[in-house]
Order: sequence, then structure tokens, then C-alpha cells
Amino acid sequence: MQHVKIPQDRIGVLIGEGGETMREIEDRAEVRLDIDSESGSVGVESVGDPITGLKGPDIVKAIGRGFNPEDALALLDDEMMMFDVVDIDAASRNQNDFTRQKGRLIGEGGRTRELMAELTGASVVIYGSTLGIIGGPEQVDAVREAAEMLLDGAPHGSVYSFLERKHNEMKQKGLNYHQFHG
Amino acid sequence: MSESEDSKWGIAHVYASFNNTIITITDQTGAETLAKSSGGTVVKQNRDEASPYAAMQMAEVVAEKAKAQNIEGVHVNVRGPGGNQQKSPGPGAQATIRALARAGLEIGRIEDVTPIPHDGTRGPKNAGF
Repeated sequence: MQHVKIPQDRIGVLIGEGGETMREIEDRAEVRLDIDSESGSVGVESVGDPITGLKGPDIVKAIGRGFNPEDALALLDDEMMMFDVVDIDAASRNQNDFTRQKGRLIGEGGRTRELMAELTGASVVIYGSTLGIIGGPEQVDAVREAAEMLLDGAPHGSVYSFLERKHNEMKQKGLNYHQFHG
Repeated sequence: MSESEDSKWGIAHVYASFNNTIITITDQTGAETLAKSSGGTVVKQNRDEASPYAAMQMAEVVAEKAKAQNIEGVHVNVRGPGGNQQKSPGPGAQATIRALARAGLEIGRIEDVTPIPHDGTRGPKNAGF
């Protein structure tokens, strides 16, 4: 049994209309969710296959970090899918700096966040004081590195070119050469 | 498993930090090591040692060795660095457990044995983001 704490305004999303989302998570991740809507604490207990159940707490955390349930359930699509969180609050000095850093990560009209998501193929959500990433290991690594570059003060241009380079690298990886048999 | 009376359960200790993953399979007492592996045995670059791919390859090797010694299944103890460092296991942990299962070892209980301080020393200044 693991406990995950999620913000008050995400509890509704976690439960879904008439408990729909909650039931879907329980079915697909083979867990039982014990949601305390007063305190925002969610107990996750694995009931079926323990290996599938490992992803349960991550799914709940992802929804708590602003992902919509479909994106969070993508964690179950493939066993290599990962969820990672970048804490913007830890990387900023004070309230003003925090707002500025968050703005830099989001970009003008959401452009930076969108590029991070599109060029790597991961899903990226900025909510509260965190930036959440769901994707494969290289995708998550690329987004994380890009976010850390921005938080360290790198200009957006160089981050975009970094992402562009990663995008090309990942595209090439898909082309595997193998011997042609007749 | 041909001789089922001889097959035993073991414990897979998985230490997954952000820089490396170390897998040790022991017998149930935890005192007798049956197989072990760490990131450096499968990858060239230091930064890849903690990657899920490395963990999968290590898990396969370790599972083979364990099965050769009549281990049919393992309980898993995962841990992260703990103490005043990160409390959550690194990226290699989940990959390892899956790869062990896929390599034909039964997975019993999974436990998180990350050392949690009951208030100790002050944490590192840059705990990362």
C-alpha cells in the first residue's frame, strides 16, 4: 500500500464523472484506489499482477501533477514508459524568479512547452510548481535536459536547437539496418 | 524447472540511484550472494550506467545465473540512495523488475527498502530539481 498526495483540485479529475476514471485506472493498473477527498491523500494498493501494479502510484501522481487521465494512462501502454517531475520551485530563488522561470519554460503562448512535447514525442505538462514529463526514457531525458538548460538560464534559441538535434537523433534510431535474407 | 523440490526462492536486491544500478541476487537469508551485476558491466559510457536499457541487460544476465543455481523466483527489495538524498529509486528499478519477470523468474513481494532518515544530518544544498 502506497500513499500519494495530490492537490485538492485534481481529485475530481482522478475520480472522473461518476468514478469513471478511477475505475479505469483500477482495472488497467490492477490496483485499488482509496481516495480521501478531504485531505487529498490517495492510497494505492496492488491487487493483481504486482508488476503492472508498480505503475499505479505513478499514474495517480501524474494526474496530480496536471496530466489528463488519457496521458497518464499512457504509462501503461509500454513497459518502458516513464514519469518524471522537474521541480521548478527548487530551481528558483524567490517568488519573482519562480514566476519568471515558469514563464520561460512555458514560452510565449505556450510555444516552448509545445516544442518540448512535439520534438521529443513525450507529453509535457506544467502545473503549479512542477513540470511533468511522460514518455520513453530518451524522450524524458531530452525534455528534462532541455528544462534544466532553461532553468540554468540558457537562451531559448539554443534549447530549441538542442531539441531539434535530439529529434533528429531519435528519428535516426528508428532506422535499424538488418541483413536482407532472400 | 525440472527438479521442483530443489528449486528455491531468492531475494533480488536492486539499488537504483541516478548514476548506477546494482543488482544482487542472494538466497533467502541475504547472506549468500548467488549473482550480481552493475551498470558498468554492460555499457561503455558512465552516464548510461543508470539507464533502463542497461538495467534490462543486467537483469537478464543475473536471471540466467540465478536460474542455473535452481532459483525459481525472487522477492525484490528495491532501494534508492535514501538517507538525505533522493528517496525514490532511479530509472533502473522498474526496468529491472520487468526484465527479471520476463527472463522467467517469478516475482514475489516487491518492497521498497530505501533508508529513510528519522531526522539526521542536513541534506545536500543542491538536491537537484
